[in-house]
Amino acid sequence: MAIAGTSIVSAVSAWKDAANRSLIGGVQFGLQPFCYHDLAMTPDNRPTLVKRLVQNGFGMVELHATWVEPRFADPGVSAEDTREKQRAWRLSQPADHYAGIKRELDAAGITIFTYYVNINDTYTDAEIDAVFAGAKMLGAKGCVGSQGLALSKRLAAFPGKHGMFLGIHNHANLSDADAFATEDSFVKGLAFSPDVKATLDTRHFTAANGDCLGFLERHHERVSSVHLGDRRRNNGRSAPFGEGDAPIIEVLRMIRDNKWPIVALLEFEHGTLRPQVEEVQLMFDYCKRAVLS
Amino acid sequence: MLSPRTGLSVLSCAAMLTGSLAAQSPSTPSPAGARPGYDAEYIGPPLADAVMQTAKETYVVFGCAYCHGITLTPRGEAADLMHSPLVGADTNGDTIAAILRAGIPRTAKLSPMPQFSDLSDRQLHDIARYIHYARRQGHYKEIVETKSAPGNPAAGGSYFAQNCESCHGADLDGIGKKYDATAIRDRMLEPATLESLQIFTLDSLKDTRLATGRQRHRFLLENVTPTEVANLVAYLQTR
Repeated sequence: MAIAGTSIVSAVSAWKDAANRSLIGGVQFGLQPFCYHDLAMTPDNRPTLVKRLVQNGFGMVELHATWVEPRFADPGVSAEDTREKQRAWRLSQPADHYAGIKRELDAAGITIFTYYVNINDTYTDAEIDAVFAGAKMLGAKGCVGSQGLALSKRLAAFPGKHGMFLGIHNHANLSDADAFATEDSFVKGLAFSPDVKATLDTRHFTAANGDCLGFLERHHERVSSVHLGDRRRNNGRSAPFGEGDAPIIEVLRMIRDNKWPIVALLEFEHGTLRPQVEEVQLMFDYCKRAVLS
Repeated sequence: MLSPRTGLSVLSCAAMLTGSLAAQSPSTPSPAGARPGYDAEYIGPPLADAVMQTAKETYVVFGCAYCHGITLTPRGEAADLMHSPLVGADTNGDTIAAILRAGIPRTAKLSPMPQFSDLSDRQLHDIARYIHYARRQGHYKEIVETKSAPGNPAAGGSYFAQNCESCHGADLDGIGKKYDATAIRDRMLEPATLESLQIFTLDSLKDTRLATGRQRHRFLLENVTPTEVANLVAYLQTR
């Protein structure tokens, strides 16, 4: 059986090799490319993204849909028309498009762990299915987004049809009862379906005064990944790794020592005067030291 | 200069970084005045005024640029500081500093604005200083690039009476004969003039008219609309 011009055996081997590039100390690392603050998340910039991921030593990525989908917004075209074009494109199931992108990343030894897409109430059921199908063609194991509880309840029925999971991702909004921000909100979301998994964002969870370590202890079996970043408590600001209150080292060692299959995706918002590739490397090196000692 | 937030935890990684990246990174020449390791391509070349450059670096380093943009082009749901009335009404940084200290925890947005209460007053005001600077630069560009209808001298005269006349009287007589419309507009709004370095001679520091004039022109540039500028210019051409 051939997949994208290669055998299934070599495809699996390529996946393992790719993932293993950033499998360090027993922890599978990856990157959420928001971290390259200077790089607009567009299909045109995808080759630069791939180059940077390799340069920084990542074999796994959480890919936002904006790196993948064509742009439909044009001057003079209404938002409604733009949205319709986007929906029509998704429903056309452009398999070659997705396969081509997967080949690009495979060739660079990068596996797409999850596909990040902010689904909202305007999505039809068919469109949601199309998003999951597209993500699967990219090789993703799940779709992750920052939707709230109500929408997650609706979405929970979709990933199982595609053999995937839905990742629910927290921010730090404690004033919105629909938002994922606390352990309680995660518990409600995870109860929607076994196919719902937590993408625990350590920086936002910390800023919302959550207990990352306690959360992992209690819910690790339902956690697919952590977004690794640092912030200060009490809705505090983002900070370089080690300068905020998020227990990054402890989270990584918990994953390592318990051999949990939780992917550690670096994602941060703190500023720097350095080139972004250097900043990513500094933060990645901080994480490596945490798991190699 | 090390960035204010560069901590030991990151510094201790520097050696690893040097080893792991140095051989792979294409060497990018630093523009004039940019120190090694400063990402001028993203942040922009260093500003001539060290005070403003420090303010800009503070804005970038503490993460403001990630959401609000280096040139105040916001990302995602972040507030548009270029057009925020609240920023426009802030004349000395105090309003912005107060918001930074407290953050905006209660919001309908996905991600609340964080609080920056651990920063010094100086740092908070530096952030405000850069926001105002970037806003002036951006507004000037918008005004210059907007094709306005011909100005209305009567409306411009009314604006002048309300906002300018307390400082400017006869000193502007004849300006319409001396300069063309573009020159009048630029003399009124030109950021380079407004951003000229502050002189610290005692006489200059005591010159309240100079300080007031600069503050008012800066306020004008941050808040005036292209139509109001066209009207003002049309009026001044009649003087």
